[in-house]
Amino acid sequence: MTSTHKRTGFFMVLPAIVLFLVMTVYPFAYMIYNSFTNLDLSKSGTGQFVGLRNYTDIVRDQLALSSIEFTALMVLIAVPVEMILGLALSYLIRGLFAEKALRSLFLIPMMVPAAVGGFGWKMLFNFIFGPINYFLNLIGLQSIEWFGKINTARTAVMIVEIWQWTPFVFLILYAALQALPKDILDAGKVDGADGWRLFLHIELPLLRPILYVTLLLRIIDVLRTFDSVYMTTYGGPGSATSTWSFYAYKVTVSYGWNIGYGSALCVILVIVSGILINTLTRVLNIGRELGLSKE
Amino acid sequence: MSRRNVVRLIRFCVALLVLAIFLFPIYWLVITAFKQESEWFTTPPVFWPSKFTLSNFLGTGSTTFGTTTTSIAGIVPFLRNSVVVATTTSIVSTIIAAFAAYSIARTKIGGTGLAGWFISMRFLPPIASAIPLYVIFSKISLLNTWWALILPYLVPTTALSIWLLISFFNEIPQEIEEAAYIDGASRTQAFLQVVLPLSAPGLAAAAILAFIQSWGEFLLALVLTSNASAQTLPVYLGRYITGWRVAWGPLSAAGLVTMLPVIVFALITQRYLIRGLTLGAVK
Repeated sequence: MTSTHKRTGFFMVLPAIVLFLVMTVYPFAYMIYNSFTNLDLSKSGTGQFVGLRNYTDIVRDQLALSSIEFTALMVLIAVPVEMILGLALSYLIRGLFAEKALRSLFLIPMMVPAAVGGFGWKMLFNFIFGPINYFLNLIGLQSIEWFGKINTARTAVMIVEIWQWTPFVFLILYAALQALPKDILDAGKVDGADGWRLFLHIELPLLRPILYVTLLLRIIDVLRTFDSVYMTTYGGPGSATSTWSFYAYKVTVSYGWNIGYGSALCVILVIVSGILINTLTRVLNIGRELGLSKE
Repeated sequence: MSRRNVVRLIRFCVALLVLAIFLFPIYWLVITAFKQESEWFTTPPVFWPSKFTLSNFLGTGSTTFGTTTTSIAGIVPFLRNSVVVATTTSIVSTIIAAFAAYSIARTKIGGTGLAGWFISMRFLPPIASAIPLYVIFSKISLLNTWWALILPYLVPTTALSIWLLISFFNEIPQEIEEAAYIDGASRTQAFLQVVLPLSAPGLAAAAILAFIQSWGEFLLALVLTSNASAQTLPVYLGRYITGWRVAWGPLSAAGLVTMLPVIVFALITQRYLIRGLTLGAVK
């Protein structure tokens, strides 16, 4: 390869580098700087350096802690449910009549813009006129005031999340199942493994790497939950369903204008996401996947 | 019928039932969009409108309903903003990504490190961009413009397209370009005249994916725009939803308008979409 080619190669990749420097690195650096100041857009003369005060404030802020707690709960409850449902679904559909068509239809919830899906569910959960309570009554259960109580509101938000993203898990695992090496499966069958044992001792270990990637993708995504909360509960009742992102939104550009404090919240969120993203890119083995390196 | 077939039939019925549950929210939204006002709020709920009406879309001339309007006649500017923002993002991100991906695929510039950095841009939490950008854009008077959305939307879309396109370019044999070099073409010429036409399906897929991502984006649009001159469809939906009495019919109609293009595009480009969304975990 000639050096002219190398230079052309550099100029070709330059616009992307500039884009990410200007639109991500610069704002993030600015955000980190802001997180050490008391910048408040509603008060003039703010923006002085306050050291770590914003960070220590988070620990004492009940609302912040409860938002982080709910986000963690979603990771601990909604994500595993999505994983199990998605895996079950991929086994259910595998080998069925019209499986390709079924797969396409199952993808739809994931394609719907989260704002639209959220509004759809807001109607379904309505206390008086919503179909969910209607069905509950049909089978003899009491109507539930979904958005009125802490636990039901949290459940409702998780249901929306599970509805939207189980198809994603299903999709990946369904494709992974198709790609399992036939000879190993056949060898297992010859050795007398069937049904449950085949799944537990042969298929599940083979699926492990892809399950790990899927899990990481889902956790990274759930950490930034915002749209579904905004469209259904708006963080309520009180701040029971406020998520990390939603709370940072509220203190900065909605009810409060405390950019310094909100920035500190975001810096921590970015660090947590960053660790997971880094793990993800290593697990995906980008270098080999893209033919950039051999290991 | 053999036992195996019975099991399979049962599985099929279960699959249909689960599918019905998963599609029910969409079904509800679609039928509500065509319900007349008297059937929006009823007990028991109306699962099949007695009469399909377009009044939620076109308006009936009547006045407001609670805190919302009875039709989405006012949606046109939002639709326009969505089209402009998503289309521009889609075109610009595909161009930037095509050059970067080609360079990485052929010269291995930056190696795994650069590629990994690019791809990680796809996953950053949007709230962390929204807050600093709000302050920056307010200083340079960019808030509430199309560019206030296009610029940040370029980040995740370009990142994802780079990933998609590297694997596309890897599939095009290098010999084809080498033949062009022998004929005296420069790298840029070889790229523009030989490689790009061959990778048209990949470019189209990247463009559509970018369109879908920016069309449905909500958080940044909510923070960085403030009225009909730049707000997009998801924000149109979001700004009426917190009212004390929300008109289900027109909002469902707005929801339908918002999701229809995305679902159509997504179903057409399913294969590439899946590859992109799962970061190549699914081929």
